[in-house]
Amino acid sequence: MWRWLAEAMAVAAKDLRTEFRTRVAINSLGLFALTVLAAVSYTVGPYRIAAEDRPFLLAVLLWIVIFFAALAGLDRSFVKEEESHTAPLLRLAASPSAVWFGKLVFNLLVIYMLMAILVPLYCILMGYTIVMVWEFVLILALGGYALAVITTIVAAIIARALTRGALFSVLSLPLLLPLMIFLIQGTAGVAEGMPEVVSSTVRAVLSMGGIMTIVSAALFPVVWSD
Amino acid sequence: MEWIVPKLISEILKWVLLVWLAVVIVAAFLYVQPAKSFIGESSRIVFFHVPMAWVAVLAFLVSCVTSVMYLRRRNPKDDIRASVSAGLGLLFAVLATTTGAVFAKIMWGAYWNWDPRQTSITILLLIYAAYLALRGAIDDPERRASLAAVYAILAFVTVPFLVFVVPRIYWSLHPDTIINTRGANEFDSRYTQVLMASLVGFTGLYVWLYTIGCRIETIRQRRRQEVL
Repeated sequence: MWRWLAEAMAVAAKDLRTEFRTRVAINSLGLFALTVLAAVSYTVGPYRIAAEDRPFLLAVLLWIVIFFAALAGLDRSFVKEEESHTAPLLRLAASPSAVWFGKLVFNLLVIYMLMAILVPLYCILMGYTIVMVWEFVLILALGGYALAVITTIVAAIIARALTRGALFSVLSLPLLLPLMIFLIQGTAGVAEGMPEVVSSTVRAVLSMGGIMTIVSAALFPVVWSD
Repeated sequence: MEWIVPKLISEILKWVLLVWLAVVIVAAFLYVQPAKSFIGESSRIVFFHVPMAWVAVLAFLVSCVTSVMYLRRRNPKDDIRASVSAGLGLLFAVLATTTGAVFAKIMWGAYWNWDPRQTSITILLLIYAAYLALRGAIDDPERRASLAAVYAILAFVTVPFLVFVVPRIYWSLHPDTIINTRGANEFDSRYTQVLMASLVGFTGLYVWLYTIGCRIETIRQRRRQEVL
Protein backbone atom coordinates (compact mmCIF):
# COMPACT_ATOMS: atom_id res chain seq x y z
CA MET A 1 0.00 0.00 0.00
CA TRP A 2 2.70 2.52 1.04
CA ARG A 3 4.87 1.37 -1.84
CA TRP A 4 1.98 1.95 -4.23
CA LEU A 5 1.34 5.42 -2.78
CA ALA A 6 5.04 6.26 -3.03
CA GLU A 7 5.02 5.17 -6.71
CA ALA A 8 1.95 7.29 -7.43
CA MET A 9 3.41 10.32 -5.67
CA ALA A 10 6.67 9.85 -7.58
CA VAL A 11 4.70 9.94 -10.85
CA ALA A 12 2.86 13.09 -9.76
CA ALA A 13 6.11 14.74 -8.57
CA LYS A 14 7.86 13.86 -11.84
CA ASP A 15 4.97 15.38 -13.80
CA LEU A 16 5.00 18.54 -11.71
CA ARG A 17 8.77 18.88 -12.14
CA THR A 18 8.68 18.45 -15.93
CA GLU A 19 5.64 20.72 -16.08
CA PHE A 20 7.41 23.56 -14.26
CA ARG A 21 10.36 23.04 -16.59
CA THR A 22 8.32 23.49 -19.80
CA ARG A 23 5.03 24.97 -18.48
CA VAL A 24 3.10 23.66 -21.52
CA ALA A 25 -0.07 22.62 -19.65
CA ILE A 26 -0.03 25.52 -17.18
CA ASN A 27 0.56 28.05 -19.96
CA SER A 28 -2.17 26.70 -22.19
CA LEU A 29 -4.70 26.35 -19.36
CA GLY A 30 -3.85 29.59 -17.55
CA LEU A 31 -3.48 31.81 -20.60
CA PHE A 32 -6.63 30.37 -22.18
CA ALA A 33 -8.58 31.06 -18.97
CA LEU A 34 -7.18 34.59 -18.58
CA THR A 35 -7.82 35.48 -22.23
CA VAL A 36 -11.42 34.26 -22.08
CA LEU A 37 -11.91 36.00 -18.72
CA ALA A 38 -10.65 39.26 -20.24
CA ALA A 39 -12.96 38.83 -23.23
CA VAL A 40 -15.98 38.02 -21.05
CA SER A 41 -15.24 40.81 -18.62
CA TYR A 42 -14.79 43.33 -21.46
CA THR A 43 -17.91 42.35 -23.38
CA VAL A 44 -20.28 41.53 -20.49
CA GLY A 45 -18.71 43.21 -17.47
CA PRO A 46 -20.38 43.60 -14.08
CA TYR A 47 -23.39 45.70 -15.18
CA ARG A 48 -24.66 44.25 -18.45
CA ILE A 49 -26.72 41.46 -16.88
CA ALA A 50 -29.93 42.31 -15.01
CA ALA A 51 -29.72 41.76 -11.23
CA GLU A 52 -32.18 38.85 -11.14
CA ASP A 53 -30.30 36.96 -13.91
CA ARG A 54 -26.85 37.45 -12.40
CA PRO A 55 -26.54 34.38 -10.10
CA PHE A 56 -27.37 31.95 -12.91
CA LEU A 57 -25.77 33.59 -15.97
CA LEU A 58 -22.52 34.37 -14.17
CA ALA A 59 -22.37 30.74 -12.96
CA VAL A 60 -22.77 29.59 -16.58
CA LEU A 61 -19.92 31.81 -17.77
CA LEU A 62 -17.66 30.79 -14.88
CA TRP A 63 -18.01 27.06 -15.51
CA ILE A 64 -17.68 27.44 -19.27
CA VAL A 65 -14.35 29.21 -18.73
CA ILE A 66 -13.14 26.52 -16.27
CA PHE A 67 -14.24 23.52 -18.38
CA PHE A 68 -12.89 24.82 -21.66
CA ALA A 69 -9.61 25.86 -20.04
CA ALA A 70 -9.32 22.32 -18.66
CA LEU A 71 -9.95 20.90 -22.13
CA ALA A 72 -7.22 23.15 -23.54
CA GLY A 73 -4.42 21.62 -21.51
CA LEU A 74 -5.20 18.57 -19.40
CA ASP A 75 -4.60 16.05 -22.20
CA ARG A 76 -0.88 16.88 -21.91
CA SER A 77 -0.46 14.55 -18.93
CA PHE A 78 -0.62 11.46 -21.16
CA VAL A 79 0.01 12.87 -24.63
CA LYS A 80 3.46 14.11 -23.62
CA GLU A 81 4.46 10.60 -22.50
CA GLU A 82 3.56 9.21 -25.92
CA GLU A 83 5.14 12.10 -27.83
CA SER A 84 8.43 11.95 -25.97
CA HIS A 85 8.34 8.11 -26.08
CA THR A 86 8.67 7.87 -22.30
CA ALA A 87 5.47 5.82 -21.90
CA PRO A 88 7.18 2.37 -22.23
CA LEU A 89 9.66 3.31 -19.52
CA LEU A 90 6.85 4.49 -17.25
CA ARG A 91 5.09 1.17 -17.84
CA LEU A 92 8.16 -0.63 -16.55
CA ALA A 93 8.76 1.72 -13.63
CA ALA A 94 5.33 1.87 -12.01
CA SER A 95 2.17 -0.22 -11.73
CA PRO A 96 -0.76 0.95 -13.93
CA SER A 97 -2.92 2.00 -10.99
CA ALA A 98 -0.06 4.05 -9.53
CA VAL A 99 0.42 5.81 -12.88
CA TRP A 100 -3.31 6.53 -13.02
CA PHE A 101 -3.41 7.92 -9.49
CA GLY A 102 -0.25 9.97 -10.00
CA LYS A 103 -1.62 11.53 -13.19
CA LEU A 104 -4.95 12.18 -11.45
CA VAL A 105 -3.17 14.00 -8.61
CA PHE A 106 -1.21 16.05 -11.14
CA ASN A 107 -4.34 17.01 -13.10
CA LEU A 108 -6.16 17.80 -9.86
CA LEU A 109 -3.35 20.11 -8.72
CA VAL A 110 -3.36 21.88 -12.09
CA ILE A 111 -7.14 22.41 -11.92
CA TYR A 112 -6.98 23.66 -8.32
CA MET A 113 -4.16 26.06 -9.22
CA LEU A 114 -6.25 27.35 -12.11
CA MET A 115 -9.29 27.77 -9.87
CA ALA A 116 -7.30 29.50 -7.12
CA ILE A 117 -6.27 32.22 -9.57
CA LEU A 118 -9.26 32.34 -11.88
CA VAL A 119 -12.24 32.25 -9.51
CA PRO A 120 -11.31 35.22 -7.25
CA LEU A 121 -10.36 37.24 -10.35
CA TYR A 122 -13.67 36.30 -11.98
CA CYS A 123 -15.67 37.31 -8.91
CA ILE A 124 -13.86 40.68 -8.74
CA LEU A 125 -14.02 41.50 -12.45
CA MET A 126 -17.62 40.38 -12.93
CA GLY A 127 -18.89 41.65 -9.57
CA TYR A 128 -20.15 38.16 -8.70
CA THR A 129 -21.35 38.12 -5.09
CA ILE A 130 -21.61 34.72 -3.38
CA VAL A 131 -23.88 34.37 -0.35
CA MET A 132 -22.66 30.94 0.85
CA VAL A 133 -18.88 31.21 0.47
CA TRP A 134 -17.81 27.91 2.12
CA GLU A 135 -20.39 25.95 0.17
CA PHE A 136 -19.02 27.63 -2.97
CA VAL A 137 -15.52 26.42 -2.09
CA LEU A 138 -16.92 22.91 -1.53
CA ILE A 139 -18.66 22.91 -4.93
CA LEU A 140 -15.46 24.15 -6.62
CA ALA A 141 -13.42 21.44 -4.89
CA LEU A 142 -15.82 18.61 -5.76
CA GLY A 143 -16.36 19.91 -9.30
CA GLY A 144 -12.59 20.18 -9.82
CA TYR A 145 -12.15 16.62 -8.60
CA ALA A 146 -14.84 15.15 -10.91
CA LEU A 147 -13.41 17.19 -13.79
CA ALA A 148 -9.92 15.80 -13.08
CA VAL A 149 -11.14 12.18 -12.91
CA ILE A 150 -12.98 12.34 -16.23
CA THR A 151 -10.27 14.26 -18.12
CA THR A 152 -7.55 11.91 -16.81
CA ILE A 153 -9.12 8.72 -18.20
CA VAL A 154 -10.10 10.42 -21.49
CA ALA A 155 -6.56 11.80 -21.84
CA ALA A 156 -5.24 8.26 -21.37
CA ILE A 157 -7.57 7.02 -24.14
CA ILE A 158 -6.79 9.74 -26.69
CA ALA A 159 -3.03 9.52 -26.09
CA ARG A 160 -3.21 6.16 -27.90
CA ALA A 161 -5.29 7.44 -30.85
CA LEU A 162 -4.15 9.19 -34.02
CA THR A 163 -5.86 12.61 -34.01
CA ARG A 164 -5.31 13.63 -30.42
CA GLY A 165 -6.04 17.36 -30.12
CA ALA A 166 -9.57 17.46 -31.49
CA LEU A 167 -10.52 14.07 -30.06
CA PHE A 168 -9.89 15.15 -26.45
CA SER A 169 -12.70 17.74 -26.49
CA VAL A 170 -14.97 15.51 -28.57
CA LEU A 171 -14.69 12.61 -26.12
CA SER A 172 -14.59 14.64 -22.89
CA LEU A 173 -17.40 17.12 -23.40
CA PRO A 174 -20.32 14.66 -23.60
CA LEU A 175 -19.12 12.99 -20.40
CA LEU A 176 -18.60 16.38 -18.74
CA LEU A 177 -21.89 18.02 -19.74
CA PRO A 178 -24.07 16.43 -17.00
CA LEU A 179 -21.42 17.49 -14.47
CA MET A 180 -21.45 21.01 -15.89
CA ILE A 181 -25.25 21.17 -15.60
CA PHE A 182 -25.09 20.15 -11.91
CA LEU A 183 -22.25 22.57 -11.12
CA ILE A 184 -23.94 25.55 -12.80
CA GLN A 185 -27.13 24.87 -10.85
CA GLY A 186 -25.20 24.54 -7.58
CA THR A 187 -23.16 27.68 -8.17
CA ALA A 188 -26.31 29.67 -8.92
CA GLY A 189 -27.63 28.20 -5.64
CA VAL A 190 -24.66 29.39 -3.55
CA ALA A 191 -24.84 32.83 -5.17
CA GLU A 192 -28.50 33.18 -4.22
CA GLY A 193 -28.24 31.36 -0.87
CA MET A 194 -30.46 28.32 -1.56
CA PRO A 195 -29.27 25.44 0.68
CA GLU A 196 -31.58 22.79 -0.86
CA VAL A 197 -30.17 23.37 -4.39
CA VAL A 198 -26.66 23.24 -2.99
CA SER A 199 -27.25 19.94 -1.19
CA SER A 200 -28.77 18.26 -4.26
CA THR A 201 -25.82 19.49 -6.35
CA VAL A 202 -23.27 18.23 -3.85
CA ARG A 203 -24.93 14.80 -3.80
CA ALA A 204 -25.09 14.61 -7.63
CA VAL A 205 -21.47 15.73 -8.11
CA LEU A 206 -20.21 13.44 -5.34
CA SER A 207 -21.94 10.40 -6.82
CA MET A 208 -20.73 11.24 -10.33
CA GLY A 209 -17.14 11.81 -9.15
CA GLY A 210 -17.26 8.65 -7.06
CA ILE A 211 -18.58 6.35 -9.76
CA MET A 212 -16.17 7.79 -12.35
CA THR A 213 -13.26 7.20 -9.94
CA ILE A 214 -14.21 3.54 -9.49
CA VAL A 215 -14.84 2.90 -13.19
CA SER A 216 -11.66 4.63 -14.35
CA ALA A 217 -9.53 2.90 -11.70
CA ALA A 218 -10.91 -0.43 -12.94
CA LEU A 219 -10.50 0.36 -16.65
CA PHE A 220 -7.21 2.27 -16.67
CA PRO A 221 -4.95 -0.84 -16.78
CA VAL A 222 -6.66 -1.84 -20.07
CA VAL A 223 -6.07 1.58 -21.61
CA TRP A 224 -2.50 1.77 -20.36
CA SER A 225 -1.24 -1.71 -21.20
CA ASP A 226 -3.00 -2.59 -24.47
CA MET B 1 -22.39 -18.77 -39.51
CA GLU B 2 -25.56 -17.64 -37.71
CA TRP B 3 -25.43 -15.13 -34.90
CA ILE B 4 -28.45 -15.99 -32.83
CA VAL B 5 -30.90 -18.49 -34.35
CA PRO B 6 -30.82 -21.06 -37.20
CA LYS B 7 -31.80 -19.95 -40.68
CA LEU B 8 -35.33 -21.35 -40.95
CA ILE B 9 -36.46 -19.96 -37.61
CA SER B 10 -34.96 -16.58 -38.44
CA GLU B 11 -36.82 -16.58 -41.76
CA ILE B 12 -40.13 -17.30 -39.97
CA LEU B 13 -39.42 -14.72 -37.28
CA LYS B 14 -38.73 -12.10 -39.93
CA TRP B 15 -42.23 -12.56 -41.36
CA VAL B 16 -43.82 -12.60 -37.91
CA LEU B 17 -42.04 -9.32 -37.18
CA LEU B 18 -43.29 -7.79 -40.42
CA VAL B 19 -46.92 -8.72 -39.70
CA TRP B 20 -46.61 -7.72 -36.04
CA LEU B 21 -45.28 -4.23 -36.86
CA ALA B 22 -47.96 -3.74 -39.54
CA VAL B 23 -50.67 -4.63 -37.00
CA VAL B 24 -49.14 -2.29 -34.42
CA ILE B 25 -49.13 0.60 -36.88
CA VAL B 26 -52.75 0.02 -37.91
CA ALA B 27 -53.82 -0.40 -34.27
CA ALA B 28 -52.02 2.79 -33.26
CA PHE B 29 -54.17 4.79 -35.67
CA LEU B 30 -57.50 2.91 -35.68
CA TYR B 31 -57.90 0.74 -32.55
CA VAL B 32 -57.11 3.34 -29.87
CA GLN B 33 -58.98 6.53 -28.95
CA PRO B 34 -56.74 9.59 -28.48
CA ALA B 35 -55.91 10.15 -24.77
CA LYS B 36 -57.92 12.99 -23.19
CA SER B 37 -55.08 14.96 -21.61
CA PHE B 38 -53.27 15.34 -24.94
CA ILE B 39 -54.03 17.88 -27.70
CA GLY B 40 -55.85 16.39 -30.73
CA GLU B 41 -54.38 13.15 -32.05
CA SER B 42 -50.93 13.85 -30.62
CA SER B 43 -51.06 10.97 -28.12
CA ARG B 44 -50.66 8.46 -30.99
CA ILE B 45 -47.02 9.43 -31.44
CA VAL B 46 -46.37 7.87 -28.02
CA PHE B 47 -46.69 4.41 -29.66
CA PHE B 48 -43.60 5.20 -31.71
CA HIS B 49 -41.72 7.65 -29.52
CA VAL B 50 -41.59 5.48 -26.38
CA PRO B 51 -40.36 2.31 -28.18
CA MET B 52 -37.65 4.34 -30.00
CA ALA B 53 -36.39 5.72 -26.67
CA TRP B 54 -36.56 2.26 -25.07
CA VAL B 55 -34.67 0.62 -27.94
CA ALA B 56 -32.04 3.40 -27.87
CA VAL B 57 -31.36 2.72 -24.18
CA LEU B 58 -31.47 -1.06 -24.74
CA ALA B 59 -28.96 -0.76 -27.59
CA PHE B 60 -26.62 1.25 -25.41
CA LEU B 61 -26.99 -1.33 -22.65
CA VAL B 62 -26.11 -4.12 -25.10
CA SER B 63 -23.14 -2.07 -26.30
CA CYS B 64 -21.93 -1.66 -22.71
CA VAL B 65 -22.40 -5.35 -21.83
CA THR B 66 -20.64 -6.58 -24.98
CA SER B 67 -17.82 -4.09 -24.31
CA VAL B 68 -17.35 -5.59 -20.84
CA MET B 69 -17.41 -9.05 -22.44
CA TYR B 70 -14.76 -7.98 -24.95
CA LEU B 71 -12.47 -6.79 -22.19
CA ARG B 72 -12.91 -10.10 -20.36
CA ARG B 73 -12.69 -12.58 -23.27
CA ARG B 74 -10.89 -10.57 -25.98
CA ASN B 75 -13.14 -12.08 -28.63
CA PRO B 76 -13.29 -9.78 -31.73
CA LYS B 77 -16.97 -10.73 -32.20
CA ASP B 78 -17.83 -8.91 -28.97
CA ASP B 79 -16.24 -5.76 -30.39
CA ILE B 80 -18.35 -6.10 -33.54
CA ARG B 81 -21.47 -6.55 -31.38
CA ALA B 82 -20.64 -3.43 -29.33
CA SER B 83 -20.01 -1.22 -32.35
CA VAL B 84 -23.11 -2.41 -34.26
CA SER B 85 -25.28 -1.89 -31.20
CA ALA B 86 -23.89 1.60 -30.58
CA GLY B 87 -24.60 2.54 -34.19
CA LEU B 88 -28.20 1.29 -33.90
CA GLY B 89 -28.57 3.05 -30.55
CA LEU B 90 -27.55 6.27 -32.23
CA LEU B 91 -30.12 5.72 -35.02
CA PHE B 92 -32.96 5.01 -32.59
CA ALA B 93 -31.95 7.94 -30.37
CA VAL B 94 -32.20 10.24 -33.42
CA LEU B 95 -35.67 8.81 -34.17
CA ALA B 96 -36.75 9.26 -30.53
CA THR B 97 -35.51 12.86 -30.62
CA THR B 98 -37.35 13.60 -33.88
CA THR B 99 -40.66 12.07 -32.78
CA GLY B 100 -40.27 13.84 -29.42
CA ALA B 101 -39.71 17.18 -31.16
CA VAL B 102 -42.87 16.73 -33.25
CA PHE B 103 -44.83 15.97 -30.07
CA ALA B 104 -43.27 19.01 -28.33
CA LYS B 105 -44.35 21.27 -31.20
CA ILE B 106 -47.99 20.14 -30.89
CA MET B 107 -48.19 20.10 -27.08
CA TRP B 108 -45.93 22.96 -26.03
CA GLY B 109 -45.69 25.06 -29.22
CA ALA B 110 -41.98 24.66 -30.03
CA TYR B 111 -39.92 21.87 -31.54
CA TRP B 112 -37.06 22.47 -29.15
CA ASN B 113 -36.97 24.20 -25.76
CA TRP B 114 -34.07 22.46 -23.96
CA ASP B 115 -36.39 20.57 -21.70
CA PRO B 116 -34.29 18.31 -19.39
CA ARG B 117 -35.37 15.24 -21.41
CA GLN B 118 -34.27 16.91 -24.63
CA THR B 119 -31.01 17.99 -23.02
CA SER B 120 -30.26 14.48 -21.82
CA ILE B 121 -31.01 12.84 -25.19
CA THR B 122 -28.78 15.43 -26.91
CA ILE B 123 -25.91 14.56 -24.59
CA LEU B 124 -26.58 10.87 -25.22
CA LEU B 125 -26.36 11.48 -28.98
CA LEU B 126 -23.07 13.37 -28.49
CA ILE B 127 -21.65 10.53 -26.38
CA TYR B 128 -22.31 7.88 -28.99
CA ALA B 129 -21.22 10.11 -31.87
CA ALA B 130 -17.97 10.55 -29.90
CA TYR B 131 -17.74 6.77 -29.48
CA LEU B 132 -17.94 6.30 -33.25
CA ALA B 133 -15.43 9.16 -33.77
CA LEU B 134 -13.01 7.40 -31.43
CA ARG B 135 -13.37 4.15 -33.38
CA GLY B 136 -12.54 6.05 -36.56
CA ALA B 137 -9.38 7.52 -35.05
CA ILE B 138 -7.53 4.30 -34.17
CA ASP B 139 -5.91 2.11 -36.84
CA ASP B 140 -4.87 -0.99 -34.91
CA PRO B 141 -7.99 -3.24 -34.61
CA GLU B 142 -7.15 -4.64 -31.16
CA ARG B 143 -6.32 -1.28 -29.65
CA ARG B 144 -9.43 0.21 -31.26
CA ALA B 145 -11.57 -2.53 -29.76
CA SER B 146 -10.26 -2.18 -26.21
CA LEU B 147 -10.18 1.64 -26.11
CA ALA B 148 -13.66 1.84 -27.63
CA ALA B 149 -14.87 -0.70 -25.05
CA VAL B 150 -13.46 1.44 -22.23
CA TYR B 151 -15.17 4.54 -23.61
CA ALA B 152 -18.48 2.70 -24.08
CA ILE B 153 -18.44 1.65 -20.42
CA LEU B 154 -17.53 5.18 -19.27
CA ALA B 155 -20.32 6.56 -21.45
CA PHE B 156 -22.86 4.12 -20.11
CA VAL B 157 -22.02 5.15 -16.55
CA THR B 158 -23.23 8.68 -17.34
CA VAL B 159 -26.57 7.43 -18.74
CA PRO B 160 -28.30 7.02 -15.32
CA PHE B 161 -27.33 10.60 -14.47
CA LEU B 162 -28.88 11.82 -17.70
CA VAL B 163 -32.01 9.71 -17.53
CA PHE B 164 -32.75 9.92 -13.81
CA VAL B 165 -30.80 12.71 -12.05
CA VAL B 166 -30.94 15.61 -14.53
CA PRO B 167 -34.76 15.44 -15.02
CA ARG B 168 -35.21 15.20 -11.22
CA ILE B 169 -33.13 18.31 -10.50
CA TYR B 170 -34.80 20.36 -13.20
CA TRP B 171 -38.46 21.04 -13.67
CA SER B 172 -39.64 19.22 -16.82
CA LEU B 173 -42.58 19.49 -19.17
CA HIS B 174 -42.12 15.89 -20.25
CA PRO B 175 -45.03 13.63 -19.20
CA ASP B 176 -44.25 11.09 -16.51
CA THR B 177 -42.88 7.89 -17.95
CA ILE B 178 -45.69 5.38 -18.51
CA ILE B 179 -45.04 3.48 -15.31
CA ASN B 180 -44.80 6.65 -13.28
CA THR B 181 -43.78 7.37 -9.71
CA ARG B 182 -47.31 6.96 -8.35
CA GLY B 183 -47.62 3.55 -10.02
CA ALA B 184 -50.80 4.75 -11.69
CA ASN B 185 -51.58 4.41 -15.37
CA GLU B 186 -53.21 7.42 -17.03
CA PHE B 187 -54.20 5.60 -20.21
CA ASP B 188 -56.95 3.05 -20.85
CA SER B 189 -56.27 -0.66 -21.34
CA ARG B 190 -56.33 -0.57 -25.18
CA TYR B 191 -53.66 2.08 -25.04
CA THR B 192 -51.45 -0.08 -22.85
CA GLN B 193 -51.99 -3.12 -25.11
CA VAL B 194 -50.87 -1.29 -28.26
CA LEU B 195 -47.96 0.35 -26.49
CA MET B 196 -46.70 -2.97 -25.14
CA ALA B 197 -47.15 -4.61 -28.57
CA SER B 198 -45.22 -1.73 -30.12
CA LEU B 199 -42.43 -2.09 -27.56
CA VAL B 200 -42.13 -5.78 -28.39
CA GLY B 201 -42.26 -5.08 -32.15
CA PHE B 202 -39.58 -2.43 -32.16
CA THR B 203 -37.39 -4.51 -29.86
CA GLY B 204 -37.74 -7.31 -32.44
CA LEU B 205 -36.82 -4.86 -35.19
CA TYR B 206 -33.72 -3.91 -33.22
CA VAL B 207 -32.71 -7.57 -32.80
CA TRP B 208 -33.16 -8.18 -36.53
CA LEU B 209 -31.12 -5.10 -37.53
CA TYR B 210 -28.51 -6.06 -34.96
CA THR B 211 -28.02 -9.58 -36.35
CA ILE B 212 -27.80 -8.23 -39.91
CA GLY B 213 -25.31 -5.56 -38.79
CA CYS B 214 -23.14 -8.12 -37.03
CA ARG B 215 -23.10 -10.39 -40.09
CA ILE B 216 -22.21 -7.55 -42.46
CA GLU B 217 -19.40 -6.37 -40.17
CA THR B 218 -18.01 -9.92 -39.84
CA ILE B 219 -17.94 -10.35 -43.62
CA ARG B 220 -16.33 -6.92 -44.01
CA GLN B 221 -13.58 -7.81 -41.53
CA ARG B 222 -12.99 -11.20 -43.15
CA ARG B 223 -12.62 -9.56 -46.57
CA ARG B 224 -10.20 -7.00 -45.16
CA GLN B 225 -8.08 -9.82 -43.77
CA GLU B 226 -8.19 -11.62 -47.12
CA VAL B 227 -6.98 -8.47 -48.89
CA LEU B 228 -4.14 -8.14 -46.39
